[in-house]
Formats: sequence, structure tokens, C-alpha cells
Amino acid sequence: MATAELLRPEPSAADARARREEVRAFIEDEARLLDDRDFTPWLALFDEDCRYWVPVHPEQRSPADGVSHFHDDKQILMARTHRLLNPRAFGAEPSPRTAHVVSGVRIERDVVGADGEGELVVTSSQIMLEYRNRDGFENDLRMFGGRVTHTLRDRGGRFTIAEKRVDLINAEAPFNAMLAPL
Amino acid sequence: MATMLEERIGGIGPADLVRDHEVHRSVYSDPAVFRLEMRRIFGRAWIYLAHDSEVPNAGDYVVRHIGTQAVIVTRDKDGAVKVIFNRCTHRGATLCAFERGQAPGGHMCPYHGWLFAADGTLKSISHKQNYEEVLDPADWAVTRVPRVEAYRGFIFGCLDREAAPLLDFLGHMSTTIDDLVDRSPTGEVLCSPYVLKHYYRGNWKMTFENLNDTIHPGFAHAASVVSAKHVAEEVGGPEHLKPTLGMMMANGKPISFFQQLDMVTAPGGHSYIGGHMGADYTPDTQNAYHAALVARHGPEKAAKVLGLDRHLMLLYPSSTWHARYQTVRIVRPVKPDLTEVIGYTFSFPGAPEETRINAIEYCTGANSAASPVISDDLELYERMIHGNAWGDQEWIPMSRGVREDRETTNEWTRQPSTSEGYIRNQFRAWAAYMGRS
Ligand code: FES
Ligand SMILES: [Fe+2]
Repeated sequence: MATAELLRPEPSAADARARREEVRAFIEDEARLLDDRDFTPWLALFDEDCRYWVPVHPEQRSPADGVSHFHDDKQILMARTHRLLNPRAFGAEPSPRTAHVVSGVRIERDVVGADGEGELVVTSSQIMLEYRNRDGFENDLRMFGGRVTHTLRDRGGRFTIAEKRVDLINAEAPFNAMLAPL
Repeated sequence: MATMLEERIGGIGPADLVRDHEVHRSVYSDPAVFRLEMRRIFGRAWIYLAHDSEVPNAGDYVVRHIGTQAVIVTRDKDGAVKVIFNRCTHRGATLCAFERGQAPGGHMCPYHGWLFAADGTLKSISHKQNYEEVLDPADWAVTRVPRVEAYRGFIFGCLDREAAPLLDFLGHMSTTIDDLVDRSPTGEVLCSPYVLKHYYRGNWKMTFENLNDTIHPGFAHAASVVSAKHVAEEVGGPEHLKPTLGMMMANGKPISFFQQLDMVTAPGGHSYIGGHMGADYTPDTQNAYHAALVARHGPEKAAKVLGLDRHLMLLYPSSTWHARYQTVRIVRPVKPDLTEVIGYTFSFPGAPEETRINAIEYCTGANSAASPVISDDLELYERMIHGNAWGDQEWIPMSRGVREDRETTNEWTRQPSTSEGYIRNQFRAWAAYMGRS
């Protein structure tokens, strides 16, 4: 977006509510697409120059600071989701089933650039339950959770995702295979 | 099994679990074997602990492991590195709860305040007068790791007082550490504080057997190749693929390609294979980096340093090294069927930024549990633990490439990278460590 940015004019209470509702629906729908394994429309939500990022530490400012659990551009997201639907991806065989719980969606920032394009920063608390139906393997039900920060572009009534950052509460912990995007 | 192994009742000892071309499946899962490994292998080998740059100042410490035992690596007042058990001698409480920190005044136990110096000396006891003469602080120092040596800034510890020096342990493999350090245009090497850990419910040896296995990628990681090809089609051809996806594609190289590559094994269970990632820096970086290394080493050595392309040196039994990608991994056994692998990346002051980013991307691709490639390996480790838990097949073959050795010197043996010679070599070391009481 253009450098000159303006706060949106102070909205009325009703407008603010409507805005929040609109954003909340978007965040929830995004999670729902993952749970439905509906990856084509899910990928379409992301900008071409998007970033999907799961840091290894809460204080990591940028993926260039160091390693990450996920540091994906659109190509890696494409490969990842393609793998989840490919029956010969052993790490994803059987493919994980997930249920996201989204709560506390909050608009942290909502600005519009001189070019009229809007940018929002939205945070939410999310928990993802994940299950792989491997006969006899213990602990195949897992739980991931933390704070999710979406940077969205408002393209006149349609949002796209510029960045999705997931700060797991156990970011520094060792993980076993993580197949499903959070 | 436990007592049989440990006491050799009936003449069955741990070394009997290894034959020339086969290994008994219990080495991957038997708790008695695991306990003995912790004593006889991790209690005897040199274990990579930390890099100098992780503890730059007096009082800086990191917590690491020798086998299942946690140790504190501290830089003391005089600049020396001291390694002690992370365990209070009073009632056994963990001294340092964090992986890294600063304890310039020593390590104080949070329970009753006993205070220990970096070298484990008990400096003060709370309520000391009450112990009368029954307890002499000199008897209650924290156990010190008796041998600590560094090679070019990489700090190793060894619990065996009698062990040969670190250099002997490294042998030919010291050249891989040289390879890493010589890539720094200033000679300085910095370890990043951001580390990447994965775990799996499988045995620690599985990582060592997997990382130099060039037959498995074409099968285990086939889906990554398919997915990368799918993306290539979507984005208008493989030339538009990002390097990370190129790495996924590399798994699709034919076995004939790997057959030509060398695998080098050395006494002690160590090995490495020839480079095959085929990734170069962008031309600007390549030129700037080359110039920086020429300034340090002169043209001849600079060309040698940049030309050396080894993929994954395995320093048995506890670390794996990738000089070209500035990454070291520690393999940490937790239980017979639980292992943690911790990836560290290094950067070189004075080298182009791309080399640092490259290391980060490689380590993320190679050590994240979310990596499309590693997740396949983790799944397969767990499947092996499951499959080996039942049935009447007791012995696992490791005979691939058994007659293919290409050249042998005092220091190493060269064979095709498709050979399982490195696994046989690991188990020769294993049996030698384990068979010695
Ligand atoms: S347990 Fe450490 S001082 Fe008591
Ligand atoms: Fe692999």
C-alpha cells in the first residue's frame, strides 16, 4: 500500500460493529476452509506475495531473524496443501483432520492508503485440534493453539491475506510432524 | 533381557546384538539396551555441546545434554568453559530452568539456596552452622564433566576421564568442522539464538541411519517431488520455483545419480556423503563471497573452500553437520522410543547476507517438524518402532552395498552413497562401545 496512510474516519458505533462482524466472518471462514480441506479457495485468499509464518520464539520480529516452524510463501503453501491431498505423502498418510476454534477476533489497526487500498491487522485466539487416524498409534489427537495475527488487505469489500502469523504458546517446544497449516 | 544384557548371564552381551550385516531389533527399543547405551556410548564418546558464541561473556550459560543427563555449559570469570550437571547436590533440584541465561554469581539452587560456582564447587550453604561438622562442602560439589575440549570454537564434553583427546575422536571428520569455519571470511562464527526442534517417537539411531540414506528419498519423499512438480506447472515451469521447492525436487533424483556419489565412513561410526543439493548462491553473492574468502585465504584455498560440497557429516553418536548450509544438529536421546533433534544455524560476519538466509532456509526445510520432507521421515521412524515391536523377525538386514567399497585408507573408507556401509560402520562403533565393560 502507499506510504501515506490515513486512519479511517471515526466510525459510528453501528459501523464499527458491522466492520468487526465482517472481519470476524472472514477469519472464521478462513479457518473453516482449512477444516473442510477446501484448499483451492483457501489459497485464493492469500496474496501472491503473501507470507505464512509460525515463529520459533514469541520475540522473533522477522523470519530473517532465524529459523521458523513455517515460513511459507505462496509456492510452499501450494506444495503443502497439494501434499495433504496426495495419498502417497507418508507424513500425511492418513491426512490430518482438524477443527479450529476461533475466538476473540479483534481489529488492531484499520487504515487506508492514499491509493484507497486498506490494510488491517487483526488478532484472534485460535485452538486447532488435529487427529490422524493411524491404527494403534498413541497420542494421535493433538492440540495447537495461540495468537494468530492476520495482516489483511481490504480491496473494496474483499479481503485478502498479506500475512498470517501464528504465535504458538509453545513456540520454542520440539514438535512432532506438523502437516496441517494452523 | 535387562539383567541378561547388563550382567551377561548366559553369555549374551550387547555386542552379540550386532552381526556383520544384521542388527537385532531390540537395539531400537529395549530399555535395557538404551540404559547401557547411555552409560557406554554417551558416557564415553565426545558429545558436541555448544559453540563459543553462545556463551560469549563470563557468567553466560546454556543447558545441553549428554545422553539423558542435563549439563550447564558456563563461561567462567577467567574465560574458560566449565560443564557441570544441571542438578543440585542437596536434594537434586534442577539448577537452571532455562535453556540459556546469565549467572555471573554462580548457579543458586532455588530450593534452599545452595550456591555453586561455574565449575560446580559448592560456594555456600544456607543455614550452614546447623550442619555442624557432618557435611563438608568440599564433598558436595556438583558433578563436573571431566573432559571439556573445543575444536575451532565448537565445545565438546566427555564423561570418560580416560577417553582419547577430542582430535582423535574427530579424526578425518575434523575436516568438516574446518569446512564450516573456513567459510567465514573473518574466521568468526556466530550461532543464532533461534533454534528449531523436532521430536519423534522413535530411537535416536534412526536419525543417524536416515540422514545418509540416499535410497529412501525417492520413495519416502516421492510426494514432495510430485507436489513440487505440481507447483512448477502452476507457476509456469520449474525455472520459476523457489529454492525451497528446488530442495523438494532434489529428492526425485534417480538412484544412478546417488550411486556415483561417494560416501565416506570413518572409525567411530562417523560418515558423510558427497554434495547433491546442487544449490548455488546468486551470482552477486557468489562473487562477493568469493572475493571475501580470497582476501582471507588466498585464491587457491578460497576455491577449495567454496568447492567443497559435502552433504551431512554424521558425528556419531550425537551431532550432524552441514557446512555448506551452516547448520549443526544435535540428536538427543530421551527414551528408547523418544528422540529430540535440535537444529542450530551459524552466520559469518563479513559474508554476504544471503549465506545467512540460506542457512535459515535450509535448517527450516531440514529440521522443522512442519517441513514437507522431515514429516515423512518422522512418520517412518514411528512406523519402524511399531513394526519392530511384534512378529518373529528378530534381525534387521544392513547389507546394501556390502561389496562395493571403492577405496580404504587408515582414516576412512570410500563407497557409493547408496551403500549401507555407514550403518554397518555405525554398528561397528556401537558394538565396540557397548562391548567394553
Ligand atoms: S535442593 Fe538445592 S538447595 Fe535444597
Ligand atoms: Fe528423509
